[in-house]
Amino acid sequence: MAEVRLKDVMKIYPPVDTKKHNVKHLEVTEKGVVAVQQFNIDIQDKEFIVLVGPSGCGKTTTLRMIAGLEEISEGELYIDGELMNAVAPKDRDIAMVFQSYALYPHMTVFDNMAYSLKIKHVPKDEIKRRVEEAAEILDITKYLQRKPKALSGGQRQRVAIGRAIVRNPKVLLMDEPLSNLDAKLRNQMRAELLKLQNRIQTTIVYVTHDQVEAMTLGDRIVVMKDAYIQQIGTPQEVFNHPANTFVAGFIGTPQMNFFEGELLREGNDYSVKYKDYVVKLSENKAKRLAENHVESQSITFGVRPDQMRVGEEGLTAVVEVSEMMGTSSHLHTKIDGQDVIVIVPTNGDDASEMEEIKVSFSGKMVHVFSKEDGRNLEFSV
Amino acid sequence: MDKRNKRAALQLAAARVLVYAVIIFLCFLCLFFFVMLFVNSSRTNNQLQRGFTLIPGGHFFFNMKNAFTDSSIQIPRGMINSFIVAAGAAVCTTYFSALTAYGLYVYNFRLKKIAYTFIIAVMMIPTQVSAVGFVQLAYKYGLNNKLWVLIVPSIAAPAVFFYMYQYLKATLPIDIVEASRIDGSSEFATFNRIVLPIMKPAMAVQMIFSFVAAWNNYFLPALLLTKAEKKTVPIMIAQLRSADYSKFDMGKVYMLILLAILPVIVVYVFLSKSIIKGVTSGSVKG
Repeated sequence: MAEVRLKDVMKIYPPVDTKKHNVKHLEVTEKGVVAVQQFNIDIQDKEFIVLVGPSGCGKTTTLRMIAGLEEISEGELYIDGELMNAVAPKDRDIAMVFQSYALYPHMTVFDNMAYSLKIKHVPKDEIKRRVEEAAEILDITKYLQRKPKALSGGQRQRVAIGRAIVRNPKVLLMDEPLSNLDAKLRNQMRAELLKLQNRIQTTIVYVTHDQVEAMTLGDRIVVMKDAYIQQIGTPQEVFNHPANTFVAGFIGTPQMNFFEGELLREGNDYSVKYKDYVVKLSENKAKRLAENHVESQSITFGVRPDQMRVGEEGLTAVVEVSEMMGTSSHLHTKIDGQDVIVIVPTNGDDASEMEEIKVSFSGKMVHVFSKEDGRNLEFSV
Repeated sequence: MDKRNKRAALQLAAARVLVYAVIIFLCFLCLFFFVMLFVNSSRTNNQLQRGFTLIPGGHFFFNMKNAFTDSSIQIPRGMINSFIVAAGAAVCTTYFSALTAYGLYVYNFRLKKIAYTFIIAVMMIPTQVSAVGFVQLAYKYGLNNKLWVLIVPSIAAPAVFFYMYQYLKATLPIDIVEASRIDGSSEFATFNRIVLPIMKPAMAVQMIFSFVAAWNNYFLPALLLTKAEKKTVPIMIAQLRSADYSKFDMGKVYMLILLAILPVIVVYVFLSKSIIKGVTSGSVKG
C-alpha cells in the first residue's frame, strides 16, 4: 500500500580484479564496477512491477537496494514519499520472498509466519488470526505445526509467501520466487500469485529471468540488461513495441527473427527489403517513421515467428527441424544460411525435414531497428 | 563361478572379522581406564601397593568415607566450585565465540581479514605463556581466590571461534539472516533467536569440550586459588596425591578421581542429545 520511487539510483561495487571476476559486460569506473545504472521509476500504489533480464543485469541488486539489504551508492529511494536511503530494512515496512525461501529451520510453519508479528509485540490472538488467515489463502493450514524440512518445495514456497503477506507490508518484494519449482508447479503458482495479488492489494516488485512470468504477472515490466534499463512498459507495450533489438529478442518465445536489410522511403511510404523480397510497411508504421524523420538506410528488422506465413511466394527457406508443440509446430529453417523460426498451425500435413518452403510476412508485423545501435526507429528519435 | 562366489564371501567375512577386531581393541582402550578406576577405587591403599588386578575389592564405601572425612579437603565444596567455574566457562566460551564468529561471518567491515587473522594468531600462543602475566595481574589487583577470574578469560577462545566460524560457513545461509532483518528483527535478536538455535549442535559440542577442559583445569586454578573453600577438584586430587607418607592413601585418590569424572559424564549425556545432524535442512533450497 505504497508508492515506490527510485530516482537515479546506482549501485557501484568497489573495484575488483577484472581478470578474476567476470564483469566485462559492466562499466568499470574509478569508483568501481557499476552494477545498476541510473535507475528511474515511479511505482504506483498496488502496482505489480516485474524486473526482468538475463543473469548479471542488476535486477536482484535493484530489489535488494529497495529492501535495504544493499546500500544505495547514488540516487534516492522513496517509499510512500519518505526518503529511505539510510533507513534499516527492519524499519522500511517491506516484506521479501527469497529465491531460496530462507525459512527458519528450527521453527514450525506457524512460528515462521508469526515471527515478524511477535517482534512487533502484536497480541497473541491477533497473531493467531492473521497467520491462520494467510495460511488459508495459501492453503497451508494443515502444515502449520510442521517444520520446514517436512515440507515439499512448493509448500515451502507458500510458507515463504505467507511469512511475507502476514504483516500487510507496504511493499512486497519477490526475488525469483518460482525458479526453484518444477515446471508444472511453477505454472500453478504463477496463477496463484495473480489471484493473491488481487486479494492482498499491495505494491509488488518481482524479479525474474523468465519472460513468461514477467508477461503474465506484471502490470508493468522493466527490462534490464548490463545494469541499464532497456524499457519500462506494460506487457503489451514491451511485446508489441520493443524499444530495441535486445528487448525484441528477449521478450517472446521463440525469439524474434532478425534480418539485415534495407529501409526504403518513397515520400510517406516505407518498405523493407531483404535480398529481393520487398514488403511495404503499414500506414501506422510509416506514419510514425515519417514523424521521426527516418530516411532510407540499412536496418535490422524483426518479425516474430508466429507472424511468418508459409505460402506460395516469399523467401525460400529450408526446413531443418520441425518441432511439434501440440496445436502448432515450430519449424527451424534456414534462409540464406541464417536461422529463422516459423510457427505454423498443426494441420496434419507438416513440412518435412529438408523441404523447401516459401515464407512471407505482412508489413504490419515488421519491427524496424537502427543498424548502428539497435533502437526501434518507430518509437525513438 | 561358484568358486569365485565362495572366495568373495570368504574375503568379506575376513574383512568383517578384521574390522570388528579393530573396533573391539579401540573400545578396550577407551573403557579399560574407566574399569581400572572403578576397580582401584574399591581397593585399600595396601591392596593397591601390592599390584594390579581386574577383580574389584570390597572397600568402595570405606574409601568414600575416607575421602569425605579427610580434613584437608572439602569434596562437596570442591565439586560446587569446579561446577561454577566449568559451567561458567563453557557458557561464556561458546556464546561469545559464536557471537564473534557470527560477527565476522555475516558483517563486512574494514579490517575484517586482519581481525580474523589476529584471532587465529592468538590461537598459536600457549596458555602457559599468557598465564604468567595474567596471574601477576590477578595478584596485583587482589583477584586471586575469586572464581569469576577463572571464568571471564574463557570469553576469548580462538579455537572455539574457529570451529564456530567453520560451522557457520557450512550451515548458515545469509538469506536467513536477511529474512530476519526484513521481518523486523534487530541484529541481536536475529543472533539470539535465529542463529543460535541453528548453531545448537556446534554449541553442544563445544560446550562439552570446554566444560571438560575447565573442569579438569589444574594449571591456572592451582596458581590462583589458595583458600581451602575456593579450591576446585583437580587441586584437591593433587593435594591428596602429594600428601606425606603417613597420610598417603591411594584408594582415596582413586575415589576422588572417580567422583571427579561423574559430572563430566552427566554433562556429556545431557548435551549429546543436542548434537543432531542437519538442523538447517529444509530452510533453503540446497
